[in-house]
Amino acid sequence: MAEAYTVLEELGSGSFGTVYKAIEKATGETVAIKLIDLENSSDELSDIQAEIGLLSTCKSPYVTEYKTSFVKGVKLWIVMEFLGGGSALDLMKPGPFSEAHVAVVCKQLLLGLEYLHSTGKIHRDIKAANVLLTDSGKVKLADFGVAAQLNDYKSQRHTFVGTPYWMAPEVIQEAGYDFKADVWSLGITAVEMVKGEPPNAQIHAMKALFVIPKNPPPRLEGDNYSRDFKDFIAQCLIKDPDRRASAKELLEHRFIKRAGKTEAMRELIERKQMFDAQQETTTHLKYYEETMVDLSPRTEDDGWIFDTIKQASIAPARQNMQAPSRRKMSRISSSDGGPAPMMQRMDMNAAPLGSVTDSPIPERRRPSSRKSSEATVVHEDPSTMPTVRRVSNVPKQPLGVDLTFGNSPSTVRHFKRVSSGERRTALSANNPPGANPFHPNPHAKTFRPSPPDSANPLDDPNDENSPPAPVYPPAPVTKDALYGRRAYGKVLDSVFQEAYANSASPHQREALGGVHQAWAQLDLVDPQGEFMLMKAMIDRLQSDSKLASALGISVSPAPTPKHTTKNSESLSGTTVHGTSTTRIRSSTTTTSTYSKTSGEHTSSPREPSFQSPVSTPSRTKSPSPLKGPKFILAQSNPHLKSHRRRQSGVVGGEKVYDRALDEKKLPGHVEPGMEQQGLLADILYGQWMQGLRSRWPLA
Amino acid sequence: MAFLFRNKQKNHAELVQSTKKLTIQLSEDSKPNPKVEEELARDLAQMKIRLQGTPDAEVNQEMVFQLLSFIIQEDLLYSLANNIHRLPFESRKDAQVVFSTAFRYKPVGASDPQVLHHVIQFRPQIIISLCRGYDRRESAMPCGGVLREALKYDSIAALLLYDEPVADGKTRDLGDVNPDEPSSGNGVFWTFFEWIDKGAFEVSADAFNTFRDILTKHKALVAQYLQTNFDLFFTKYNTILVQSESYVTKRQSIKLLGEILLDRANYNVMTQYVDSGEHLKIIMKLLRDDRKMINYEGFHVFKVFVANPNKSVAVQRILISNREKLLRFLPNFLEDRTDDEQFMDEKSFLIRQIEQLPPVPVPPPNAA
Repeated sequence: MAEAYTVLEELGSGSFGTVYKAIEKATGETVAIKLIDLENSSDELSDIQAEIGLLSTCKSPYVTEYKTSFVKGVKLWIVMEFLGGGSALDLMKPGPFSEAHVAVVCKQLLLGLEYLHSTGKIHRDIKAANVLLTDSGKVKLADFGVAAQLNDYKSQRHTFVGTPYWMAPEVIQEAGYDFKADVWSLGITAVEMVKGEPPNAQIHAMKALFVIPKNPPPRLEGDNYSRDFKDFIAQCLIKDPDRRASAKELLEHRFIKRAGKTEAMRELIERKQMFDAQQETTTHLKYYEETMVDLSPRTEDDGWIFDTIKQASIAPARQNMQAPSRRKMSRISSSDGGPAPMMQRMDMNAAPLGSVTDSPIPERRRPSSRKSSEATVVHEDPSTMPTVRRVSNVPKQPLGVDLTFGNSPSTVRHFKRVSSGERRTALSANNPPGANPFHPNPHAKTFRPSPPDSANPLDDPNDENSPPAPVYPPAPVTKDALYGRRAYGKVLDSVFQEAYANSASPHQREALGGVHQAWAQLDLVDPQGEFMLMKAMIDRLQSDSKLASALGISVSPAPTPKHTTKNSESLSGTTVHGTSTTRIRSSTTTTSTYSKTSGEHTSSPREPSFQSPVSTPSRTKSPSPLKGPKFILAQSNPHLKSHRRRQSGVVGGEKVYDRALDEKKLPGHVEPGMEQQGLLADILYGQWMQGLRSRWPLA
Repeated sequence: MAFLFRNKQKNHAELVQSTKKLTIQLSEDSKPNPKVEEELARDLAQMKIRLQGTPDAEVNQEMVFQLLSFIIQEDLLYSLANNIHRLPFESRKDAQVVFSTAFRYKPVGASDPQVLHHVIQFRPQIIISLCRGYDRRESAMPCGGVLREALKYDSIAALLLYDEPVADGKTRDLGDVNPDEPSSGNGVFWTFFEWIDKGAFEVSADAFNTFRDILTKHKALVAQYLQTNFDLFFTKYNTILVQSESYVTKRQSIKLLGEILLDRANYNVMTQYVDSGEHLKIIMKLLRDDRKMINYEGFHVFKVFVANPNKSVAVQRILISNREKLLRFLPNFLEDRTDDEQFMDEKSFLIRQIEQLPPVPVPPPNAA
């Protein structure tokens, strides 16, 4: 299948994968191909399938046409119609649209929505970035990543999905919504096109989620806009979905009735071309290239022994590894042992032709908040507001690293499209990638614990003989380190984010972002020190009675780790969980509890409506939350190191055989200071046995 | 608007008859006939509206009942099922709605889906024909949608599982089925393996979803079936699906395998499965695959072998002779999945289990 296309330059990329321009060899037709790496995609396969299923049942001049899809290697190729005019968002770069142009786009969008709605589909992510144009100015709806198919006209949806600024109040409130949600988003998109940005764009996306249901709906004001236009907006932006007009009704609106032809959009496309020419942004095109990776021959050791050895002659493993077994193996494992299958695995993402360093990447990241990239088929170009998408196990971003502000994407990277079930994951995925070599953390050394520590009476007694290893990759797993990790991953990180989200001025944000980043690095490098630092802070704060009472930390004999001091109501709107995967994996109740660490920000608005009905924040009030098996949680903190490893592309399980460290990972090896791990293992083991007994009652 | 007016006037009987006539005409014409297509599209759209209503107008249950009665009477569903791929694009979706509404239809107060009941009893061929929709890209999605709707009922699953080709083109009466009699492997259920393996991406993915529904939503039925047809099923499953060339098929089927095995209803199937050294070999190779999601899904099957307290001698032998390798391999296996708590727990459990293996295989206490 893939041979049928000549793949040309990259058009854009985002969390979903990369979009290339391509030519279908048989017809000479230009197409757009979206390449999704299924191995690394954060979406479930079934979600991707659902998107394709939905797309393939759409055929309308107002919807981007889906052509076909196929799998090559681990990549899914989705072939789509190529739209040379770019997105409406791209076209806004030289400046906002005139009212007449907005009318044209709205009319086409309404026709598209009428079609979708009549076939029982809700798009759920209408915004300028998802409106694409052909060279000739035809307007089409794109990106069905979160669209839904309803069974019949009466059914409703509850999933929290979309892009914050464009989301209808009923979607945010999860009160159940239907087709009318798209009409709201369309109204917001109309405002976006004429003003250059959606209403509320000046506030942070998280805050917008509170504001939209609370405030009166946005309106266009002033003499610059016609009465019809204002009325059209007012019809779209009615908070009560039942009173809001349908797409069909809006097609009869005077503003739409007098809309011009799509050819008028040519003006904007040309304007954009002129604009680009003036900017002289000679972009380096990135070309598609297939790269072969993983050609390194496997070691002899690699592979299992499936010899049928007679029971009597069971020999030590060493002998098994020798010649006779290998002979046998070659017969058995011909299907996956040799290099041939590895040759087949090609990495299509890697190594574009141009050198990466002066590729347009920095271009796209430039901090003009709402300007989008050069890319034309950008659905979710990184610099546009990312849509709240389903799960993101995607690379985790610390707050405010590539610090732009306002509604810029970097601050809300975690704000991928999320279905209500996975918002929690998305949020908790904010753990920092940590190590930023340019931000050394002064605290890291200062507070390094020196055990056995008499100076620190709050030290855990278990910890007395843990000498902190001086080298930090990898950080020693001590109990304190686990606490530290836990505190950071579960509490501090989200606190930082909350504070960040709640602060308005760029300066505040910058400052906060810096602290957060520094802390993230501390967490990465020295979780134990991190814990000690927190402990020391709590200690001092407690000893100052005024501060202690202000913070609500009473002086108690038991050491109270900071993250349990007080759990606020928790912005659990962002931490919702719902359906988990079918697999029998325990759903960890990773509740992000926001403590009041950052006192000055706690007065932020908290909408009860935002609270999900399902969320069960497990508020650990007990002074020592780490007792019991839950203690293991800390280990589960995702951190950058592992990420790096993953991204380095080395296949797991093959690389580290020779590392000296290896031995430490072997079971049975007790590291000094890790004795309690044995205990842990026992608990674990016990749990397991219980689980098994229920499964194999015979045992 | 004259034609619309005329169509509105068609009564239920006329509408159904006309639709049937046109469908058959479409199937007989060797070349596309736009006029027939157009009229059929109108009829089906009309039928859909009458069955489903519009956003503005609710349907009248009485009318739905009447219309469905005519549909049954004329055996329209059978003609439609055989010809979905010939319908125009939008009509396929309309036909899907007609099917779904019909299959879902329950008279007020009744718990029995009347139409579906009729189909199972008298026209099971309709269901088989819908499966054959997977032969073509055009019909795969609408047929799949209808099938999964119908598969909410055990009898539909039974119909698919126990289907056997019969010389006269009829399908078997479910009453005659002896669940202990092994399948010939030629019934429609077995064709799913081909659809999944060979189809275009959408077809394959949709067929797999239906396949999964058959296997996971009808536990008692499937447990019995898998026991009777154990060898046939797992041979096909292992060779065609688990070792498929297609990444998606491979990954999905390993995951499904894990789900099937760990389902309590399938306890006997699971014990039988994990006794086999051959199965273990296949799964252990997955752990070494160079795609980490394959590793991961494979792990969830592998763990069943290791956790089994009554390992067969064959399985023990493989595990013991690979003990050293496994103990070196597992600690680093997918070690970047640090946020997957259960995975980490399970991994360390497996390591412990492997450490504790006896030096030589010991026959399990209650070995058969």
